[in-house]
Amino acid sequence: MPLLSVLLTAQPGLAQEKAPTPAPAPAPTPAPAATNAGPQAPAKSTRAENEPKAPELFGVEIPLLDPASDTLSYNGGLFDVGNNAVVRARFEKYLQQNPDESKEARAYRAKMEELLDITQRNARSSSPVGGANMVLIGRGLYEMDSYPPDGGQAGALASAMVSALQVQFANQKRDRENDKLQREINQLVTDTNRLVNYNTGRGGRMPSASGRGNSKNTGSKSSGQVSGGNVRNVHSVRISHNTKTIAGKEATQMKNDAESSTALALAKVNYQSMLAALLLSRRYDHALIGANSYRHIFRDGDTALKLDKESKAAQLFNNATGMPPTVGSIATAASTARREVDQHMEAVANLLKANKLSDATQHLIEAVAVGEYMISVSSFPAESRRRIAEYWGLRRRVLTSLNARDYGTTEEIARKMKSLDADFDDAMIMSYCAARKQQSDLAVRNALKALQAGNEEEFTRQITEAGAIWPRNPRLEEGRAHLQKFDSYDPVKEEFRTLVSRKEFRTIFNEQSRFEVVAVDPELKEQYRDIITLISTIDGLLNQLEVAAQQDRVMGPCMAYEMLLEKREADERYASDPLFSEALNRYALAAHDFVDALNLATDCEKRDELGSALANYYRAQCIYPGSRLAREGVERLTRVILEAEF
Amino acid sequence: MARRSKRRGRRNNASHMNTYLIGGIVVAAVVIAGAVALKPAPEEQVAATHRHFSIADYRQDASRLTGNVYRLEGRVENIESLGNDRLVAVSLEDNPLERLPLLVRSGASGRINLTRGDVFIFEVECCTGHTAEQKEVKGVLMVRRVETK
Repeated sequence: MPLLSVLLTAQPGLAQEKAPTPAPAPAPTPAPAATNAGPQAPAKSTRAENEPKAPELFGVEIPLLDPASDTLSYNGGLFDVGNNAVVRARFEKYLQQNPDESKEARAYRAKMEELLDITQRNARSSSPVGGANMVLIGRGLYEMDSYPPDGGQAGALASAMVSALQVQFANQKRDRENDKLQREINQLVTDTNRLVNYNTGRGGRMPSASGRGNSKNTGSKSSGQVSGGNVRNVHSVRISHNTKTIAGKEATQMKNDAESSTALALAKVNYQSMLAALLLSRRYDHALIGANSYRHIFRDGDTALKLDKESKAAQLFNNATGMPPTVGSIATAASTARREVDQHMEAVANLLKANKLSDATQHLIEAVAVGEYMISVSSFPAESRRRIAEYWGLRRRVLTSLNARDYGTTEEIARKMKSLDADFDDAMIMSYCAARKQQSDLAVRNALKALQAGNEEEFTRQITEAGAIWPRNPRLEEGRAHLQKFDSYDPVKEEFRTLVSRKEFRTIFNEQSRFEVVAVDPELKEQYRDIITLISTIDGLLNQLEVAAQQDRVMGPCMAYEMLLEKREADERYASDPLFSEALNRYALAAHDFVDALNLATDCEKRDELGSALANYYRAQCIYPGSRLAREGVERLTRVILEAEF
Repeated sequence: MARRSKRRGRRNNASHMNTYLIGGIVVAAVVIAGAVALKPAPEEQVAATHRHFSIADYRQDASRLTGNVYRLEGRVENIESLGNDRLVAVSLEDNPLERLPLLVRSGASGRINLTRGDVFIFEVECCTGHTAEQKEVKGVLMVRRVETK
């Protein structure tokens, strides 16, 4: 229903808004624009040049609501009904108000209901203008005028009714005067016809001095009779006088008719203007009372709106209904709007019972935007308003935090909204926030990598990008800390070199967060990485061996000892690690038989006591069959002994 | 008085002779018995040699045992061959967790078809040899004779 949409959203307040707040797209979507353009984004989106111009009513552009997107087109811009500053302010004001349950308010509502009922019934009656019902309606409206929240609308309507009725009364008076004039004209015509007949000899009697003409005519006739012996010519003056008199009276009649028509047309325009103003100011009850009373005020049957056929308003009504615009159109629009608002409020009550705050809020926004002054809206309970106000506040905070690119807060609020309303669809918000946070984290990571690579320029670029995407990213602090380290890395570098020369790799590893800045130095970068890798490997190895030694308390320590021994032989840096050495000693103690056998075998082999050495390798192999050292010793000595000469 | 003194003198001489004779016989019997008692049987000799071989001592310093001959009873645990020569790892009866390396040359007498897992009696001698580079190879137990148990 385009007409309904037009009328429902027609708000005089909006017309005064010179620079309306833009209508961001649905919640999550404004952020990209906000990211690029910041909070001071363009105020409104404009329609394309070739788009049809918005309809106007009485020279004022009518805001048009697009229910599909909850946006309002007005003055070349698009506005989110739920986010427009004016709508928002009105809605918030409404939420913070308590329903007026005073005696006056109840009396006002009762009177309104009564008048609506009377006018509905009156619309079908045929009581005359100024009848008892009209008097009742007028008095009722003036009584309602004393209630401040009415805003004087009832009084204005009553005054318009009285004015229209006064015009009607004046027209009736003129009608009566015209009737009288018509009777006089008829008499004069009759009189004149007799005189003419007499003069022409067509018969008829000479009118007497006390004839049925008026006194002036009588005087004229007497003078004619006396002065003229020629009877046929004696009434010519009288005839002429009568003729002139008739013309004068007819002119008066025409003047009265013209005045009546003009006054009636003006009265209709004024009254229709009042009805349209009431409709546009969303006083649907008043508009309905006025529209239903229309045909009792103007009983000529003409209910057409006095609009120029070429005007936008006329086109609007034509487009809306396909019929010529009438007062009935206004009544229909007002009735429909009332019904729509009542349905919205019914939906709000039901949704609140089901804890569906999001949908309830949306319905209440539309109900308030369309019918703020309706009884069902103004009497909405305070407790329900508080609940929706809380949810509405969260919704505002979501938009604000999203606009400020505070994605952590946005997610937190979205979760809270979800907890209040399980049906709240937070998927888009959460996805968007997660994506932006990831982008920012990725930039921080790249910045840190650049820092480690010694690329300060790239670090600055990446960290700036990370801050631009998500200004409150906690990892930005990490970047700043790294930057501070970067600035003070020279002393650290010296200390690093000293520790390396002392082979205190474990110290570097334990304080790697402090020493990692040396990685910016290409010379030390590899050293730093090798040390971190070495100690990490040692720690991993020791952990694994510890588990193995716990699982098998006989062979486990032997295996651990031999593996550590092999590592130490492969890389002498292992021996410099205190944890490694401590572990080696611990396992040597736990596997002392195995260790003693290996050591004795080695010692004997050095002394060419190959028989003893081989026996010791055998012993070591018996204790730990998987021993590589024992196996290699056995193989080596076996070959030597077999090849020896005795 | 005088006769009585002569008789008494003859009787005393005869008594001394008997005493000496008996004492001599006893001494001889004791010596013989001791010798018989102390003479070991052939089996008892092998057992005594085996008891005296200490693998712990061998693992410490085998070259001290060079020239000694032992009879060892052991179970063959592993055999490594080079031509007809074999190096056998033997576990001794009283110490199954130890292995003793024995070099069995092709010329060793007795049953030389050694099989893993079987128990044999080895007569071994602790020897010192050398490699081709004239480097000493000390304390190797070389099998002289192998017997089945």
